[in-house]
Amino acid sequence: MTTVSGRPAPAPTVESPVDWVTALTLPGPEQDRALRDLHGLLVHAARRQVHRMAAVVGPRDVDELANQAADEALVALLGKLHTFEGRSRFTTWAYKFAVLHAANAVRAAAWRGREIQLDGLEVLADTAPQPGHYAEAHDLVAGVRRLLGTALTPHQRRVVVALVIDDVPIDVLAERLGTNRNALYKTLHDARGRIRSGLRTEGLLEETTGARS
Amino acid sequence: MSLRPLEPRDVERLTLDTGPWLSCDDCFALVDEYVERLLAADSGAMPLMRGHLLGCPACAEEAATLVVLAAAETGVDPRPVLALIG
Repeated sequence: MTTVSGRPAPAPTVESPVDWVTALTLPGPEQDRALRDLHGLLVHAARRQVHRMAAVVGPRDVDELANQAADEALVALLGKLHTFEGRSRFTTWAYKFAVLHAANAVRAAAWRGREIQLDGLEVLADTAPQPGHYAEAHDLVAGVRRLLGTALTPHQRRVVVALVIDDVPIDVLAERLGTNRNALYKTLHDARGRIRSGLRTEGLLEETTGARS
Repeated sequence: MSLRPLEPRDVERLTLDTGPWLSCDDCFALVDEYVERLLAADSGAMPLMRGHLLGCPACAEEAATLVVLAAAETGVDPRPVLALIG
């Protein structure tokens, strides 16, 4: 195991196979070397992700999280090897598996033991005009709060408040609710649509407001 | 339980126009190609991906790391792409 201290190390130097998929598929010494090299690259990628999120985990956890994520990523990657179509470099395609598993592991570690309150609207105090706030901005805030209560289903409201207001990571919330990232993002996507539609109806939002150009 | 008002940051994130639906699984399937196209200065590539990364902080966080990793392999400055995907 490599020791983590300070910035992550550069990618390990490997003599990449001309054809990773073939090298990883056909049994023999070439496959053994390809698997070893690939695991090294996945550890490198996982460490990069863990370092980017190091503020939320203790320094002692970095090596363990990165190596465990790389192991899981290797298994996941090999299961999807037949889907690699060469639309990116193989290493970029491989890195994304390590990054995903590392990010999920860091978020899970950071939220382990923390309670997630799914109170929905109850956590949001009434909005009162703040000194220095423009009336239009206050109307927008008040409109969003009202629409949270009237335009969304209870499930949408709980999910939106947890993800957007309370900053619960989507994969952590999915695990707690026994669902998955896709389903929660769909809920959030639809809720945003309802809020935007309601704001437009009330004249509080123009067609392009809220979108980044 | 602590009560707090909606902050302007919350309102901005609640009213984001993230465009047509794209799932996190679809984002994962496409992100390696997307990142390489952005690093090749194809900033208009795959608009559905841009919308998804705007609205999904977890996918955006992972895409940012992939940008750094892919850029390091080709010696490209990742910063313009990182600024693009937030």
